[in-house]
Amino acid sequence: MRNTRHAYRMAATVAAVLLTATPAFAADQSVALVLGVKGSPFYQALACGAKAKARELGLQLTVSAPDQFAADSQIPVVNAVAATRPAVAAVVPTDTQALIEPLRQLHQRGTRVITVDQTINDTSFVASRIQTDNEAGGRLAADAMNTLLGGKGKVLTITQPPGSAAQDAREAGFRAELKRFPGIVYLGPQYQSDDPQKAAEIVTSTLSAHPDLAGIFATNDQGAIGTVTGLRQAGGIGRVKVVAYDAATAEVNALKNGSIQTLIAQTPKEEGEAAMQAAAAMMQGKPVDKVILTHIVTIKAGDTATADRYEYQGNCP
Amino acid sequence: MNWSKSAAVRESCATPDACATDPQQTLYERLHHFAGGGWILILLLVLVAGFWIARPAQFGSTYNLTMLAVNAAILLVLSVGQTYVIVSAGIDLSVGAVLVFSSVASAQTMLWLSGEPAGTFGTTSGGWGVIAAGLLVAVASGAAWGALNGALVALVRIPALIVTLGSLGMALGLAQVLTGGVDVRAVPDLLVTQVGNGTLLGIPMLVVIAALVAIVAAIALHLTRFGLQVFAVGSNAEAARRSGIRLRRRIVSVYMLSGMLAGLAAMMSIARFSTTTINGHAMDNLSTISAVVLGGTSLFGGVGTMMGTVIGVFIPIVLLNGFVILGIPPFWQTVAMGAVLILAVWIDQIKRRVRQG
Repeated sequence: MRNTRHAYRMAATVAAVLLTATPAFAADQSVALVLGVKGSPFYQALACGAKAKARELGLQLTVSAPDQFAADSQIPVVNAVAATRPAVAAVVPTDTQALIEPLRQLHQRGTRVITVDQTINDTSFVASRIQTDNEAGGRLAADAMNTLLGGKGKVLTITQPPGSAAQDAREAGFRAELKRFPGIVYLGPQYQSDDPQKAAEIVTSTLSAHPDLAGIFATNDQGAIGTVTGLRQAGGIGRVKVVAYDAATAEVNALKNGSIQTLIAQTPKEEGEAAMQAAAAMMQGKPVDKVILTHIVTIKAGDTATADRYEYQGNCP
Repeated sequence: MNWSKSAAVRESCATPDACATDPQQTLYERLHHFAGGGWILILLLVLVAGFWIARPAQFGSTYNLTMLAVNAAILLVLSVGQTYVIVSAGIDLSVGAVLVFSSVASAQTMLWLSGEPAGTFGTTSGGWGVIAAGLLVAVASGAAWGALNGALVALVRIPALIVTLGSLGMALGLAQVLTGGVDVRAVPDLLVTQVGNGTLLGIPMLVVIAALVAIVAAIALHLTRFGLQVFAVGSNAEAARRSGIRLRRRIVSVYMLSGMLAGLAAMMSIARFSTTTINGHAMDNLSTISAVVLGGTSLFGGVGTMMGTVIGVFIPIVLLNGFVILGIPPFWQTVAMGAVLILAVWIDQIKRRVRQG
């Protein structure tokens, strides 16, 4: 008897919560944004830029994100977004191959698909691709490293395991540009899987093997934070020059206190805004560029004004 | 005495005496026990009904319901194996890593057999023979890891938590060694189109496979002597050994079963994603354990149902799907899913304590 009453109460509460949740939006007005992963400063900044622009343009935006930066985690989220039949979906694909079929299904159900930041191998049904030139970013990093090292020394790259298109392009660009500087010895890439702890361990181990290590290139924010930690533990701050991709708050602070010497900043806010502008144009039937490039910026130590301007702002309503 | 109902009888008896004099359960009691013996089924129905009422055209669309089942399929196959292990009072943390290793071994075998070079992209023209060979490799490598787990637990007597944690690291590491960290991107076209995206009588093939596995496993667990022995081992390993059950053999076979199902799940994963996913499946072990526990299986072993696991697999998937459709912010989704997990097990515990007086 008591248990049945419990059941009714539980059912009533669940129903009440669900019915008072966000109102159902008209299917032809809404825009969905699927990020690469929850809790990443870069994607938070992207979402913030998108939300602000959506408010400005009067779009109904819903933001979703998977728990891990992996296809098996993101695909259920993409499927659920496809079920809501938004007018436009902007997705950060976490795998160049596995996301092809889910995004194609999204397209077949009448949604226009935009890929943001990362991309997929088959873009025949993708209305627009918003990306940065990651290879150029890698080259900028190599140029910065050369300047910092005065043309000679051993250099290590800390990056994601192969398979992430953006990270691979950054490392490839870095490696290619380094060939122009004969005095620099490239030790190759080491993989940290978005784990600052692991990055720190890699740095301390490499310093033991190569005490004369002169420079480290970190291809994303997590790698950069781990690199700084590792250098601090090994007493190499300032002696080993660090060039890091991304301008998360932790990295900007490291730049200001001298742990990182140069940042290659992307503009996630701009990517989010570009996605919303492309979505609005699509919904109005206007033509949209197939590829939209957002720019990257080199921030040198001491240039606090630029650092503050390009710092990734992840806190927004 | 009807052995195959022993677990059920224990579940629904107020006192042992009442059961000894009335071994015939009513149909209601049997159905109730079959449905996970708790409120989990009701919770799942409440969730589905709630989301359906809130968003009928979106949550209730054929597409969405089909996708829910497809997303559940691979996890269900893994959870079936985990059910056996947990019912035997063990635990298998290596399921995701064994899946990754098996998928890599299988994909590389299929690529080699189709005669394509290593760095190919897209799909290959491998026929059913190649796919069968790949399946064999996947299941065999899963069985090998399972046998290793079982041997270390049963023979060397290392706690299952530690053994499977160790084999998690080894399997994942070896998978990365085999591939240099790069996913195998070229898999047979037939596998992707016929199995990954194909349907049988309108039901996605992956769902058919998962359903068959669940049904066969349920029959084996609840209606055969093998299943009975698994319950006995989980309930009281020493008593089981003294009553003549080959304890070590049973434990090894249970872990091998879990490993083989991880190998099957690996093939399903390749078929679905048309690539190996070395960086994925990281949380699969915890997802399977929470699915099994949500379904009413005790972590201490000896009690559990396969139907409960099926329901337990669907609850987090339905929750995630419903939350995304409702547009609930991602961080609140994480909070809500954790809360629902605790709530579900708590309600189930209350109900069990009430029944046992």
